[in-house]
Amino acid sequence: MRLLTHNMLSSTIKGVTNGFPLKIEPQTITQRPVELNPVFLKNMFAKLEWKPLVEASRTMGYFELPEDVSDLSVLESEEFLQKLHHALLEIHLEEGALVCPETGRKFPVQKGIPNMMLHEDEV
Amino acid sequence: MQVTINICTQEIFKLETRMVIGVVNLSRWLKGTSSSNKIVMSGFKTCGSSDLGASLIGGESGAQEEQSVSVRASAVLEECLASSVQSTPEIEKKYVHRVYDAIAPHFSSTRFAKWPKVATFLNSLAPGSLILDAGCGNGKYLGLTADSFFIGCDISAPLVGICADRGHEVVVADAVNLPYRTGYGDAAISIAVLHHLSTEIRRRKAIDELVRVVKRGGLVLITVWAVEQEDKTLLNKWTPLTDKYVDEWIGPGSPRTRSSSPFTLGSSSSFALESIPETEENGLKEKLNNFRDSSSAMKGSENGQIASEGKDHLDFEAGEKGESHQEYFVPWHLPYHRAEVSGASVGAVANGLAKKDDKKGAIVYNRYYHVFSQGELERLVSGMKNAVVVDRFYDKSNWCIILRKT
Repeated sequence: MRLLTHNMLSSTIKGVTNGFPLKIEPQTITQRPVELNPVFLKNMFAKLEWKPLVEASRTMGYFELPEDVSDLSVLESEEFLQKLHHALLEIHLEEGALVCPETGRKFPVQKGIPNMMLHEDEV
Repeated sequence: MQVTINICTQEIFKLETRMVIGVVNLSRWLKGTSSSNKIVMSGFKTCGSSDLGASLIGGESGAQEEQSVSVRASAVLEECLASSVQSTPEIEKKYVHRVYDAIAPHFSSTRFAKWPKVATFLNSLAPGSLILDAGCGNGKYLGLTADSFFIGCDISAPLVGICADRGHEVVVADAVNLPYRTGYGDAAISIAVLHHLSTEIRRRKAIDELVRVVKRGGLVLITVWAVEQEDKTLLNKWTPLTDKYVDEWIGPGSPRTRSSSPFTLGSSSSFALESIPETEENGLKEKLNNFRDSSSAMKGSENGQIASEGKDHLDFEAGEKGESHQEYFVPWHLPYHRAEVSGASVGAVANGLAKKDDKKGAIVYNRYYHVFSQGELERLVSGMKNAVVVDRFYDKSNWCIILRKT
């Protein structure tokens, strides 16, 4: 699971008002380089919830993302784009769990795949 | 206590579905009620509102206590209905989920031909798009456009595993309840997915989800198998859904409720298989010819009716003829050498979910389908407040629609 995906995933358990963001409990993390696409990154930047991304990246052992990105000129900085790219696409959670912020329910991540299926009583 | 339910519905929803689901859940809500309680479905009104609403008039032996009961019951009913949408009906568990889990590797090996219409859609999107594929199967369309990023999900963990093995970003999730926050995607696709949902409410919910998860202005492509098959002999060979499955399934085809008769749960429904009179059939053929896209030439089939890898895989059982019927079991032949030695297939045969066919050397599974009739997709989306239809077409025995989120 990449942080790009984590920034979208949300708990839809019955009764939960805000199931985002899920807390990451990492067990196994890998890094896999992939080609940088600036058009994609700039497109994604507008959609991201920045603070959850920063926090998630730190949980995954990456501390390079700036906390404050209110100055949008940051998007023109290659250095920033590299860091954003790395955080969003190159760090993988292979094994671990994603925790619902309201119920504490753990969604397992195995072989890089989050299983977000709800049980009968959670629907 | 006799409970009379007047249900306001959107005109596009078949009343029977709503009533039945409403009754099932309402009966659960009415705790501690004696067996002498009857639930009477009577009449219905169409409301202007697009939200499902129900007014409940309850009373003992004729006395009417409307107001306070109405409001509370309405809220409860809505909640019951809302949660019931997301619970997987038995028929889907048995004849969709378990089947795909069992056949995943074999199924995946036959899914490689890319449907040009989907490719065209994906290529029309802006470079650097984030595309969500809900019901991605073996991930055939993930990564189709090199400069976009795809996130796929499917309810079948084995199929999702196959996607992940190929390096795709995927999640195990339910298309009826996407675990995605609103507006994240640039576009979404649902290719041959909705026909596996057994009720109209679930099909509509899945469409709502597709629209929800894309940004404003984002596009959604949906394709589903059509009743109007290019090869009409196929329909004759599919097995229409019959009475014995009714306990596991609630959906259109349940008998139309007469206004003053009690509707008791557990009664069997009858499914009338009407044959289309000749004139209608000819008219349909004409409509198909108008829709046919002569420019798309596909080798092998794309919609999954004919396996791309040798035609022997899909051999349909002879069934009753019923062109207006939309609920079917479509067999999948899993060759013995592809079935696990121990595991899903052995268990499936043991509990009647699948059959061994020694002549063909395969285990035969049935997949549940609700095939769509002409105009059904449009009717399903006609009440949506946050999406408009930007294109609709028929291609290779599939009905297709493109929506834009407003």
